[in-house]
Amino acid sequence: MLDEWSSNILQHDPMLLYRHKRDGNHRSVTSKYEILGFISSGTYGRVYKARSLSEGGTIHAIKKFKPDKEGDVITYTGISQSAIREIALNREIDHENIVALKEVILEDKSIYMVFEYAEHDFLQVIHHHSQTLRASITLTVLKSLTYQLLNGLVYLHSCHILHRDLKPANILITSAGVVKIGDLGLARLIYEPLQPLFAGDKVVVTIWYRAPELLMGAKHYTKAIDCWAVGCVLAELASLRPIFKGEEAKLDSKKNVPFQRDQLLKIFEVLGTPDENDWPGVVHMPEYQSMKRLDHFQSQLVGWCNSRIRGPQGYDLMRRLFMYDPDTRLTAKDALQHKWFQDEPKPTWNAFQTIPQQQIPPHRRITQDEAPSMMPVPQHMSQQGVGHAHMVAFGQSQSKPGSSASFASLSGGGGHYGAQSGGNGRKKARLG
Amino acid sequence: MAADFWVSSHYERWIVDRATLHQARAEDIQFAENPEYLDYLPIYFANLITKLGKKLQFRQRIIATATVFFRRFYLKNSYCETDPFTVIAACCYLAAKAEESPVHIKVIVAESKSLFSQESYGSRPFSSDNGKIAEMEFYLVDDLECDLVVFHPYRTLLSLCKKEASDSSSSEEGETEDLGVGIGPDDGPRYWGTGDGQLEFTPAALQTAWSIINDSYRSQLCLLYPPHLIAIAAIYLTFILHPPTRPDSSPVAAEHISADGARRRSSRQAHNPPRAAATPKKPQDPIAFLADLNVSLPAVAAIAQEIISMYTLWDRYSEDSMCGVPGVGTPSGEGADADGGPDGGHITPSFLSAVLLRMREARVMDASPIAPSVSRPVAVNKRLERAQAAG
Repeated sequence: MLDEWSSNILQHDPMLLYRHKRDGNHRSVTSKYEILGFISSGTYGRVYKARSLSEGGTIHAIKKFKPDKEGDVITYTGISQSAIREIALNREIDHENIVALKEVILEDKSIYMVFEYAEHDFLQVIHHHSQTLRASITLTVLKSLTYQLLNGLVYLHSCHILHRDLKPANILITSAGVVKIGDLGLARLIYEPLQPLFAGDKVVVTIWYRAPELLMGAKHYTKAIDCWAVGCVLAELASLRPIFKGEEAKLDSKKNVPFQRDQLLKIFEVLGTPDENDWPGVVHMPEYQSMKRLDHFQSQLVGWCNSRIRGPQGYDLMRRLFMYDPDTRLTAKDALQHKWFQDEPKPTWNAFQTIPQQQIPPHRRITQDEAPSMMPVPQHMSQQGVGHAHMVAFGQSQSKPGSSASFASLSGGGGHYGAQSGGNGRKKARLG
Repeated sequence: MAADFWVSSHYERWIVDRATLHQARAEDIQFAENPEYLDYLPIYFANLITKLGKKLQFRQRIIATATVFFRRFYLKNSYCETDPFTVIAACCYLAAKAEESPVHIKVIVAESKSLFSQESYGSRPFSSDNGKIAEMEFYLVDDLECDLVVFHPYRTLLSLCKKEASDSSSSEEGETEDLGVGIGPDDGPRYWGTGDGQLEFTPAALQTAWSIINDSYRSQLCLLYPPHLIAIAAIYLTFILHPPTRPDSSPVAAEHISADGARRRSSRQAHNPPRAAATPKKPQDPIAFLADLNVSLPAVAAIAQEIISMYTLWDRYSEDSMCGVPGVGTPSGEGADADGGPDGGHITPSFLSAVLLRMREARVMDASPIAPSVSRPVAVNKRLERAQAAG
């Protein structure tokens, strides 16, 4: 006969034996890593700098996801879709220009992703040049950063992964000058999807880097949206400010995606208003009628490039990355073959190779105050999250200021959202 | 990776040899009164996952992914030391997310509760606490080593077979530039022999092959062989079941052994009776087709054999008693179940549920009070049969 203890276990806690065994074998985060400091935080959680306690003390970035919550009630709803994606995709990929995932530790309802550490990121390089050096990024560095970014993107696309959130803050650079694409939290496999891309995430890509087909309400989109974002990043590296710095129209109370009038205008002012010749599909876009009501512009891209990207090849690359028609827009693979990269000066594998030491951006700042314990997300997080109560299942959240602070995040990331740069802040809407 | 199975976590970490499979059951065998019954558990659990998946309106691929997660989990754990029902619910929850079709945890818990509380599963209480499933998901992801991208034979099947009619279960919105695992332009030569031609299957034949693949998840094949070989074995079995493609074919032994079983199962899902519709537009030589595929045919034959054995087992297993609808054939073996012997030669879910419960009771009794647990060594020889399995 079963004793009381045994039947009690089977009735009420059938996984007790399993848990007991598993917990006994668990090696905790703090037994493997020494936390050196806090780097940044965002909607997903917090990032720490850490030193491995074995293998010669390698430096890592540890991303700690905060547990999903529903509204203000702390009901634990499982691992977010975003974390699942980032974990699943990172386990399959391996490329020099993608941030490598070293391990994942699941502990105390929190997920810790241990990544290779990168000292810099594109946004920090841009700030360093615009604010400290007050000089533009040299052509060699510009080409090197763009080339390596494209090289990583070619790999992602060959794996049928859309990144869907390329922007300067998400593109890292190691101290050895190697570009590493980071933050696959919005990335998605597009190989034989069971659900149309639109079904899962209503809004993808931070507004300034969002491709016109997305702004025009396309239900289906392709790898070309990442290539548009590369164009925006290239332009921002060249001019040290975002090329299309529009204001994002917010989702309405019913979560309908509004017409992004201002962002489209910012694009049209530089590239001209698209017509059917530029983009045969434009007339079928859901927002076509809204677009027609906007003022009409002629392309200014030649002029824009003249003062910022020297040389006709640079202009040509930019023009092709900014093709309105997603089907004719340059692919990452073709962009990598572009003549701009073959002309002198050629890109280098150490992006910083050609510049003097003092021009290399400073090391990422870390802060000590909140870091040491890696305690569970403290209560005050809820004060920061404006849209907190709107959080819905499956990791959906309202876009809120500061969600930009990503893994890469800003060099000064010390405080909570104090690290925001630029007047507008960088906004990213995440839905699901 | 999505395009390249050969560098995937699936290929690199989750194709194991038979010794590993056997070792994974060592503890269960110790606590089972009759180890023979353990052989039916893969069918029992796969059917359960399918049932839960259907209630959740999952696409077939999500069900398949959930099943693979379940199998991988039990490579490292014992049935008797865990609660497979909690594991099944967590597998379905996780698979839906891994396949980008998330379902709210409340829905998973509610459907699991209603399914598992049926009499045939021992009317067990299933906690309505979401946290239990969420917690299990954590351990599950950890035991799966975070490898959540799974390849399935369906993709190979569809890329090897021309579709003559629109097939609701297969074609998806999305990029269509690629053909399938290892068949795309990237690594075509690897097993695409002549490079030309696809199989011409009638919709019914394609459905049969599809159903055989569905059925293959009742076995442990997804742990032993790469999915493209399982697809080819399913095609091979389909040739046998749809003889019009080879009108004069001599009787194949396998047909006598298993065709009945297979046909019956398949037609359950295929709405058209396979034989009736099987008239190809032009004659095709299946032998030449198979020979042209640059894969190990002995491996394909071994898989086919395993599928046939699974059908044989399945024939002795009767789900009829488990519909849970009163009045619909309450099984012959209700009374016998309690005593541990299946009645009428048929293994029923109720019977297996009882077997499972007794195993778990035995294990818990053995453990109380909890001794310092000793972890079982896991997956020693994964690479042993790797070369063979890869075909």
